[in-house]
Amino acid sequence: MNRLFLPAETPVEQALHGLAAAHPGLLDLHEDPLYVTARERHPARRVGLVSGGGSGHEPLHTGFVGAGMLDAAVPGRIFASPHNRQVYEASKAVAGPEGVLHVVKNYTGDRINFGIAAERLRADGIPVRRVLVDDDLATESEETATGRRGTGATVLVEKLLGGAADTGAGLDELAALGAEFAAASRSVAVAARAQTAPSRGGEAFALPDGTLEYGVGIHGERAATTVEHPGFERLVDRMTEQVADALPATTGSVLLLVNGLGATTLLELYAIHARVSETLGKRGLEVAGRLVGTFVPALDMSGFSLTLTALREDWAAHWHAPARTPAFPAPESAR
Amino acid sequence: MTTDQSLVLRTYADAARTAHATLTALDQLSGDGDFGDNLREGLDRVTAALDAHPDRPPYAVAASVFLDEVGGTSGPLIGLLFQELARAHEAHSDERDAWRAGTGEGLAAIQRVGEAEPGDRTMVDALVPARDALEAGSGPREVALAALEGAHATAALRARRGRASYVGQRAVGFPDPGALGVALLFWSRARARKEAPGELTVYLPTVPGTEPPA
Repeated sequence: MNRLFLPAETPVEQALHGLAAAHPGLLDLHEDPLYVTARERHPARRVGLVSGGGSGHEPLHTGFVGAGMLDAAVPGRIFASPHNRQVYEASKAVAGPEGVLHVVKNYTGDRINFGIAAERLRADGIPVRRVLVDDDLATESEETATGRRGTGATVLVEKLLGGAADTGAGLDELAALGAEFAAASRSVAVAARAQTAPSRGGEAFALPDGTLEYGVGIHGERAATTVEHPGFERLVDRMTEQVADALPATTGSVLLLVNGLGATTLLELYAIHARVSETLGKRGLEVAGRLVGTFVPALDMSGFSLTLTALREDWAAHWHAPARTPAFPAPESAR
Repeated sequence: MTTDQSLVLRTYADAARTAHATLTALDQLSGDGDFGDNLREGLDRVTAALDAHPDRPPYAVAASVFLDEVGGTSGPLIGLLFQELARAHEAHSDERDAWRAGTGEGLAAIQRVGEAEPGDRTMVDALVPARDALEAGSGPREVALAALEGAHATAALRARRGRASYVGQRAVGFPDPGALGVALLFWSRARARKEAPGELTVYLPTVPGTEPPA
């Protein structure tokens, strides 16, 4: 039996129909090629923000389309990059007077397909720049030219960029800011059980009892290391310290994302959040903004990721700026 | 001009059919084996589109087909080369100027997207010598030879980019299919102008598991 409740034909298209129908005031669905656009945008915004990538990471990216965040999102098939034509058409649809900014997670397929779309836009005379998100510490030290993967930080970068875009920032300014947001962000993820392989219906890989995959990505790939489960407190502390240690020149103020990988409950995520907050407090780090929930999952993997962004003082306003999208929580004025 | 462009593309489609088995066998050594299919089917779609829309600029037709409809990564990258050739043929009335500008801009776009450098065993290794020959003012025959030699020289290279980078040493000794496939475009341009440096089959390597092309 396939544990996933998905139609056999065109599951991504069906899910997008459901998303658009659930939020008719926020989103428009375009079917050929497939992409989603925001119904509203801040009048000051001069650059269209476009992101996208494989499906199976919902609410990323389609759930963050709306006023204050993305102008368009482009979904590929499950764990597969979107086609360049989707990116190209979505970008043309939402380009502002100063062009389009692509927010791309660092994966070869996404880089190439967004890159091809960017060349097509340039040929049409539409200015385009790219922000690459590459926060995953597990892929930092490998001897490859591909660099760190893009994972949980994507939602933080998209929120910060949305806030900055609504100040009327130009394309080059936004691209430079986006690169700084990404450079200030690091993540690590752990899994206790693999996600369901969508085609077969069974677990994508098996983990021996009592062990964890430490350093998983969001496409269900195995991690570089399998570790003995050290117990709740030691696991959360190890991950918190690893991410905090890796943060580039910190200001003492951070954004925190405690993110479920799909099958991990809010009960667990809030317990993790309590422990992480305590550890960060002991390190003297002030959490200026936080998200706790399932924002960037790997289908129904059981596990969680921690992301920190070292926050510059002038970025806080972008984080707290209003956003109206299907999945980004309403801002809370008091902390 | 439009007739010339159309003839180059139809010649390229014939060349892709002739080279199909070789390109497929080369891609099976280092990739997923679909490059020969993608190139042949893409160019067949191009010739069908040229029949249906004889008034549209041929390289722009080829660009939309390869960018929108051809699978894999190499197909859309070749689409970028067509896109820049189309733009250059609009901007330059002289055929050599158009090829010099279009190849240079196409190579630059492909490198921006694929982030490949010369020597990485990709189509860039055929395009760089072709671009250099065009910059030096060479005619179609010399440019075709430069592209084919660049493609053949990838046989000594180990891949660092693209899917072939995962298999490393295994494909060494045989040229990169993407480089050879792009070189065929420059051979086709020379053939269309009756300046080809000999028959295409002379330039197709023998790969284990395929019959030498007839």
